Amino acid sequence: MFYREAGQFKTSYVADGQIFPIRQDRYAVALLLAVAFVVVPFTATQYMFSAILIPFLIFSLAALGLNILTGYAGQVSLGSAAFMAVGAFATYNFVLRVPGMPFLGAVALGGLCAAAVGVFFGLPSLRIRGFYLAVATLAAQFFVLWLLTKVPWFTNNSSSGVITAQQISILGMTFDSPVEKYLLTLAIVAVMALAAKNMVRSNTGRCWMAIRDMDVAAEVIGIRPMHTKLMAFAVSSFYCGVAGALYAYCYLGTVEPEAYNLDLSFRILFMIIIGGVGSILGSFLGAGFIILLPIALSLLFHALAPESVPASAKSNLELMIFGGLIIFFLIVEPHGLARLWQIGKEKLRLWPFPH
Amino acid sequence: MSKRAIGEVVLKVEKVSLSFGGVKALRDVSFDVRQHEIRAIIGPNGAGKSSMLNVINGVYHPQEGTVAFRGKVRREVDTHDAAASGIARTFQNIALFKGMSVLDNIMTGRNLKMRSNIFLEALWLGPARRQEIENRRKVEEVIDFLGLQAVRKTPVGRLPYGLQKRVELGRALAAEPLMLLLDEPMAGMNLEEKEDMSRFILDVNDQYGTTIVLIEHDMGVVMDLSDRVVVLDYGQKIGDGTPDEIRSNQAVIDAYLGVAH
Amino acid sequence: MQFFLEVLIGGLLSGVMYSLVALGYVMIYKSSGVFNFAQGAMVFLAAATVVGFQAYGVPFVVAVLLAMAVMVVFAFATERFMLRKLVNQHEITLFMATIGLTFFVEGLTQLVWGTEVRKLELGIADEPVPWIMDNLGLLVSSFDIVAAVVAAGLIALLALFFAVTKVGRALRAVADDHEAAQSIGIPLNYVWGVVWSVSGFIALVAGLMWGARNGVQFSLVFVALKALPVLILGGFTSVPGVIVGGLVIGASEKLAEVYLGPLVGGGIEGWFPYVLALTILLVRPEGLFGEKIIRRI
Repeated sequence: MFYREAGQFKTSYVADGQIFPIRQDRYAVALLLAVAFVVVPFTATQYMFSAILIPFLIFSLAALGLNILTGYAGQVSLGSAAFMAVGAFATYNFVLRVPGMPFLGAVALGGLCAAAVGVFFGLPSLRIRGFYLAVATLAAQFFVLWLLTKVPWFTNNSSSGVITAQQISILGMTFDSPVEKYLLTLAIVAVMALAAKNMVRSNTGRCWMAIRDMDVAAEVIGIRPMHTKLMAFAVSSFYCGVAGALYAYCYLGTVEPEAYNLDLSFRILFMIIIGGVGSILGSFLGAGFIILLPIALSLLFHALAPESVPASAKSNLELMIFGGLIIFFLIVEPHGLARLWQIGKEKLRLWPFPH
Repeated sequence: MSKRAIGEVVLKVEKVSLSFGGVKALRDVSFDVRQHEIRAIIGPNGAGKSSMLNVINGVYHPQEGTVAFRGKVRREVDTHDAAASGIARTFQNIALFKGMSVLDNIMTGRNLKMRSNIFLEALWLGPARRQEIENRRKVEEVIDFLGLQAVRKTPVGRLPYGLQKRVELGRALAAEPLMLLLDEPMAGMNLEEKEDMSRFILDVNDQYGTTIVLIEHDMGVVMDLSDRVVVLDYGQKIGDGTPDEIRSNQAVIDAYLGVAH
Repeated sequence: MQFFLEVLIGGLLSGVMYSLVALGYVMIYKSSGVFNFAQGAMVFLAAATVVGFQAYGVPFVVAVLLAMAVMVVFAFATERFMLRKLVNQHEITLFMATIGLTFFVEGLTQLVWGTEVRKLELGIADEPVPWIMDNLGLLVSSFDIVAAVVAAGLIALLALFFAVTKVGRALRAVADDHEAAQSIGIPLNYVWGVVWSVSGFIALVAGLMWGARNGVQFSLVFVALKALPVLILGGFTSVPGVIVGGLVIGASEKLAEVYLGPLVGGGIEGWFPYVLALTILLVRPEGLFGEKIIRRI
């Protein structure tokens, strides 16, 4: 009885085209943002920032990027971590070598570099599809990482290959503490998520989905597959690049190729599978799930058998549960948590009536 | 029958031959289509009718012959060019974008009328918003025309077959085409649905003057709707004329009755 | 020249080993249309089971038989709990499910058998064959030759199976369309169980070979990743293709590492096969031997 649309008539196309057409949704989102920006900084612990909130936001951004490419445009990619790496290293080099480069500018340029690399490795998608394309993106993953490791210029000739990320400084303010990094990340992710939502419901987004659903028909109605696919790779890689930069500067504190390995690419893929392919909300839900799962498992083991479970067994069980959950979701709800959320909302619209 | 005055030749298919490996789908087929008319292509299954439509809008490239639309003569039509010069079509097996709603599907039909600037779209600034609203208005006209208001937000994958066919027609209409290629628009429909679809086709031709080329198996529909008919059999043209002329053409009768030849 | 030949032959022989792993993929793909990303994990599981039992004092042959049994159980369990529920789903969905399966199997294997690296003794020395060394002046490992012979034998067997037998044809029908095959009475569940068991057997053989060469450890899973370029070159449904693909990848990988590697600092092996496969795909999007996909509209 709380979640009713009665009385909310749309009398213009503008109104109908809102992201959150239902008034209650708008209030809920406004509340959520208020809590995120205002309440959390004062109430959350250091641990929560560093271990949960910041990685959640960063992975959500990366998942958004992959979702745009794989979920909306239908191009399967196993190389998202490579694009994150490009973003991170490019940002590092811009801050290092361009005097007076503002941090946000460096991040944006890092994203653009990632976008360029993405377009390059996306060119094969014009000829190749399905899991052939997935295997081709593995080429990107392995090659980019090799390049970043081998070419000393990228790592500023560091002998160990691990570089410390520079201090973040925007308009004279430094962002050192977890709270500050959290707010910065939150702001960037919020803006980019809004942009993503706008893109997917515009003409470009429809073209992406058309290519995904039936590319031959899309071509016949005048959509250009090349532009559409390459745009998807570009935007997706941009998002991954920014996420990669944030990963280095706001989470790890170092810029190293190994952090962007194949395992990370798979984790991001899992996030969008579990969260919901082709859904902006799904990217967030999936990221949250993957972040919280190991923590939940730890707590579970602690509660059940505090001493006896060795760390390796825990991580193996985690692997098994990950794998099992992927399969579970694909069987039960291939559209992931986002669809479950939608179903929940629909039930809520009727509550307390059954139908 | 079209209520409009039939105009000049707008599409000319000249000596088109198409083969796939060893299979000859079309053999030396020539015919023309005049502006504002409703032209039917009929023939037994496997006669090459869908292949003919595919050649006209560039999905297949013939080995011989040319297709001239609005004066531009081509051997190999580029699908994008065909769409841009005013040809829209529907498909035998519905080619809708199953993951999108009815509204979004029809909006994709407006794709060529919209300029896409990713930055403006991402920020939802002035021009992008205005364009979206304008095109939404046009699409709503199509939705009104086809009576799809109730299902506009439904994902098309969930709609019954008849409605999906209507949505596909809507997507083609949204492009404001000069010529509409319809591949068996009434396949799998009951009598009532066929009458609705026939009404829509006639209305489109009447209101917008759209030239229509349609493939149909239902003889009653073909005879009622079309101005002229082309008959194909085993990839060759065996008849070309008004419905009455075709009805009494012995070769056509033989083809349909399966007389050995 | 001699060095070149040695590198080439070494590459070709290791290529045959890749083919062995790739064969498992082809088996499953050809028979059920599923791209089984978990093949590598299966290799790991099989090898780890053998050495795991051996560590308990079980004799080699018995351990192998037990491992085979484990693979059969795994095959039927996978069919029962995963494949059956995903009948006729989109290819990509099944592919992603096998990725999930990979993680599950990796975790399970390490949980049960531990994470230390173990040696696998097959009794075949990894030493140059004296005859070849004396007569041709080349150093060619006897181990490589045995592996090549075993792999070639398996490949020939399977190629025959698909081409000639009734069961083979039925399997190809299943690969084309699950529901259609079911509706003509092919017992899908049983067939899939059998197919995955055979693939499990191939994984076991591959596991024994690779495990003997590199030791049984987690990195075996990545061997399977190397098989992917093999599949791309050879096409996912062609057994002869797998042979050619394996040879090309194996040879080119080694040659590239030896001759191009020093120019760019080494480590090329990690990505060269993928880039090569990518280049081939650009020219032939279905792989060198793959079936051309015709899409009707």
